[in-house]
Amino acid sequence: MSTPEDIARLRQLKESEPLQKAWDEWTKTKKSLEDLKPLLSDSDPSMRALAAEEHEALDGTLTQLLQSTFPSLLVPPSTTASLSALVELKSGAGGTESSLFLADLLRMYMRFASANSFRATVVAENENEAGGTKDAIVEIKGEGAYDAFRWESGVHRVQRVPSTDAAGRVHTSTATVIVLPLLEEKDVQKEDLFRMEDVKIEVMRARGAGGQHVNKTESAVRLTHIPSGITVSMQDERSQHQNKRRAFQVLSARLMDQKITREIAERRATRNSLVKSADRSEKIRTYNYAQERVTDHRIGMSIMNLTSVMEGDALQDFVDALKKDHEETLMEEMLNDQCD
Amino acid sequence: MRLPLRELKWLRKAAADANRPLDALVRRRQQGEPLQYIIGTQPFGPLELSVRPPILIPRPETEHWVIELAARIPESARHLLDLGTGSGCIPLLLAHLCPALSAHAVDVNPAAVTLATENAARCSVTRFRAFQANFLDPDFHVHAMLCPPYDVLTSNPPYIPWNEYLELPDEVKNYEDPRALFGGPSGLEFYHAIARLAVRERFLSSDAIIALEVGHDQAEAVGAIFESVSLRTEAWTDPWGKKRTIIAYRGT
Repeated sequence: MSTPEDIARLRQLKESEPLQKAWDEWTKTKKSLEDLKPLLSDSDPSMRALAAEEHEALDGTLTQLLQSTFPSLLVPPSTTASLSALVELKSGAGGTESSLFLADLLRMYMRFASANSFRATVVAENENEAGGTKDAIVEIKGEGAYDAFRWESGVHRVQRVPSTDAAGRVHTSTATVIVLPLLEEKDVQKEDLFRMEDVKIEVMRARGAGGQHVNKTESAVRLTHIPSGITVSMQDERSQHQNKRRAFQVLSARLMDQKITREIAERRATRNSLVKSADRSEKIRTYNYAQERVTDHRIGMSIMNLTSVMEGDALQDFVDALKKDHEETLMEEMLNDQCD
Repeated sequence: MRLPLRELKWLRKAAADANRPLDALVRRRQQGEPLQYIIGTQPFGPLELSVRPPILIPRPETEHWVIELAARIPESARHLLDLGTGSGCIPLLLAHLCPALSAHAVDVNPAAVTLATENAARCSVTRFRAFQANFLDPDFHVHAMLCPPYDVLTSNPPYIPWNEYLELPDEVKNYEDPRALFGGPSGLEFYHAIARLAVRERFLSSDAIIALEVGHDQAEAVGAIFESVSLRTEAWTDPWGKKRTIIAYRGT
């Protein structure tokens, strides 16, 4: 059996692995360069040419290590690396078309999650009677799920001719995505996010005499966290117990999200940092169907293959680019700290 | 009858899970059959129980008080008896939540005994035995399968009085066993029998806890029945604001 200390040591070992790998590559390349030097002045011209070619390649490797590998290792390990995610989707402006788009986004995230070996479950979903999905909550389980999804938070805008528009006019609609950090049930207590006595638990709908008199399924539950005013309603499960569990999961995720946001704000305040914080009402991405184009407005990146993005494949390119952008911002912050 | 979207969603899932045609399930629901019987299961706390007609479908009120009770059962308690067990929901959830408990469950209907036994296997609760018996029988306390004294006595006995029985929704009356619902003319018959058992010599341990579900307006009457045999009682309220559970204590 492994002890908690063993696990901590193993984690440390695993976390330092990229460092070791980069250093090994650096020393190996340096050594190869040293070994190559005498050959550069070899008497055989073809040998000299070969050596020069090799020299250039090794030089390129060193530059790559210096310019991107080493700096990326400076980025402090993410404090949220182990967290799963809860993704909330809410339709916005645009009526039924917004709900139809939300269903497309939901499908995109489900596919993206499974491509990344995360376990995705729709835990709440309100269908729109006229088509599509009004709102949904998806649980994405797996290490790194939060870090992969977190940059999806914000307003997503779609421009297309809705399948419901007979006249064929282009509509603009929006859907809002909120990505929350999801803790394991056993870790919720450790984080001390709320006190039980601060949470009001209510059941919804009257049940008349109740008990043996009624066998209708009435399982809807609403939680109110009094200090923060956060309310969570859950009615997708067939038992109160399950809905309560789900509702507490959402409440914990929202409170954890507030905690992380608060910590970032505090850190930034002490650093007097000018880095803009993520605003959830900000329009982050536009999906233009007519032009097969998806643009992320934060990093000014466009992908000219909307179909692939919606299939969850090219979404990876956005996620990678946003992660890189975030890391570069972190590095800039670190450098600024050094200058102060 | 148009089904609520949520019920439709649950039926759709049930159809997909068991490879059954959805329209047949929807039709049964439209004809008034309880959703739980059509799907064939009902979650109860962390457990998922099989349900089938005519055995009483576990109710959310019961789920609520049983979870509360689990937190109040002392760790020293070892033996539990559930009277009129139906699907076995009460003793199975308590045995699941309190690992020191082993449970006996009785029901007058052999079909309930079979279902409860099946549910024990389904939920991997091994400290459980259900058997057929009628606890209204004057000789019930000497039934060979019993092994008193018990530390916990639970029951959700039939408690619907005659006049209210006639008014029950079809969904209940046409599908669930009257033997699980009808509590005699006053609705209180079974509580009298349980009170007699509770004070019988050596049937319960000296610090036993008794938990009984009651109908929407019966808490006072049932409390009085147990106080008349010198037990201490309290009433617990369900999430809908009804006094739903009478807790009686043998100790002081």
